[in-house]
Amino acid sequence: MTHAAGDLDPDAAQAAIEYCFDQGWSDGLPLVPATRPLVEKFLAAAGRSPDEIIGRLPQLDRTVTVELAAINAAMAGCLPEYFPVVLAAWDALMHERSTTGGGWQSTSGPAPLIVVNGPVRAELGLNATGGVFGPGFRPNATISRAIGLIVRNAYGLHPHELEQATQGLPGRWSICLAENEEESPWPPLASEAGLPAGESGVTATLLRTCEFVDNRHTASAEQLLADFADTIGRSGAWIFRYAGAGIVFCPEHAQLLASAGFDRAAVRSWLAERSGRSTAELAGTGKDACDANGVRLPGEHGGDGEFQRMLPSADPQHLLIAVAGARNAGISMVVRLFGGWSGTAIPVIRP
Amino acid sequence: MPNAILDPTGRAGTASAAGPGLELAPRPADLAGVRVGLMDNTKHNAALLLAEIGNLLAAEHGVAVTVAATKANFAAPAPADLVDRYREACDVVITGVGDCGSCSASAVADGIVLERAGVPTAVICSDAFVVTADAMAELRGAPGYHYIRTAHPVAVLTTEQVRQRAKQLLPEVVALLTSRQ
Repeated sequence: MTHAAGDLDPDAAQAAIEYCFDQGWSDGLPLVPATRPLVEKFLAAAGRSPDEIIGRLPQLDRTVTVELAAINAAMAGCLPEYFPVVLAAWDALMHERSTTGGGWQSTSGPAPLIVVNGPVRAELGLNATGGVFGPGFRPNATISRAIGLIVRNAYGLHPHELEQATQGLPGRWSICLAENEEESPWPPLASEAGLPAGESGVTATLLRTCEFVDNRHTASAEQLLADFADTIGRSGAWIFRYAGAGIVFCPEHAQLLASAGFDRAAVRSWLAERSGRSTAELAGTGKDACDANGVRLPGEHGGDGEFQRMLPSADPQHLLIAVAGARNAGISMVVRLFGGWSGTAIPVIRP
Repeated sequence: MPNAILDPTGRAGTASAAGPGLELAPRPADLAGVRVGLMDNTKHNAALLLAEIGNLLAAEHGVAVTVAATKANFAAPAPADLVDRYREACDVVITGVGDCGSCSASAVADGIVLERAGVPTAVICSDAFVVTADAMAELRGAPGYHYIRTAHPVAVLTTEQVRQRAKQLLPEVVALLTSRQ
């Protein structure tokens, strides 16, 4: 339904938006007030039972139903046709151990990373290229925001209360990427995670932060990978014996690696072996030893030159690899996983 | 008549969880001969702090210290079988340290479950997490639930500092676990 601007009632809209703020439903930005007719369109777009329970947080006695998710997605500014992607992203997150435990309450204030593959990207206008970490694109911005509103409202996790993020992180509730399949030299991430090629699917995990690797002047795959290994191996992100990571490669970096014969598995294997620090370097930051629970802390002996690997293995669960962004520069993003990645992709189901 | 604005919480019309409140488990008059369970949530220094408190209780109050188990997943409330083990093996429980977003709330949830199971419990929480601990108490129908607050941070304390902390907390632990105020 389209309106001429003159038919609209901005005063009523403003009052409705303020009402939503007053209820404590907002993440700080204006919400679209959800009404029954609007939410019905979301439910029709997904074709799932409104009462289906899609998330539980037993310690808080809260559940998420498809209908509650639809209300929050509508409030986030999604169009009804985005809703199957919101549900797939939510289901993908439910495969992460931390999201059904205490992850949403954590001092680390983790952010979902949502990666979308397949034809649904173009159908919805999801951005896969320039500025892929946002902002500027409605589906990317609102699908990720919908997840945040579900956590806030359906789980009742408000900052300064049951949500205890020390600082949180830039991009929380706003990281939803379409993979740049057109310029990626590798099969789609969702295919690597088991979905048939050409099927729309979503993968998701929780991040601690993102850190860029800007390397535009080497033609050597090994030099480029060494730059990633150095960034991945930084001590700051390392709190347990091992840590997982991910890389969102720009097309230029991915293509350079592919032309040197690296597929995703070869990239992971190269980086798993070389990302880390010596025990002596880790001793300098008080992280050279591990206690009985695998938590890093200062050791007794100052440390030697022995190399400690950060990634526990070259499995995809410990190093998620996607390709997104513009082909205009050699700038990629290392992402820090909150835990491991489930390695699962969820199909986008539409009736 | 315009369309109503829908509530996104699923709690529209639900009464707030005031409930009947929490009736604390009956307390022993003192701790002589009492079996004290220590439930370590695996947070750094938690095991040491609890052990030190246990040692002081044994030396000064004649308790028998029983460590039933550790709570492996600090982020979630203790599973029912773990609660049962404490109920069978202990007369009173000390648990902690709540020093993260989920574990502070979970420690308070454990304290409330144990009280309702008839086991007097002292929960130790970092004072940086009072808001989330109180929010959990309210959620569990126990607004104003009394737990022990200790200065943040606990995880960086040396062994000697943890011993000092245990000494400091001891009177409050004893007061919380006995009927003698």
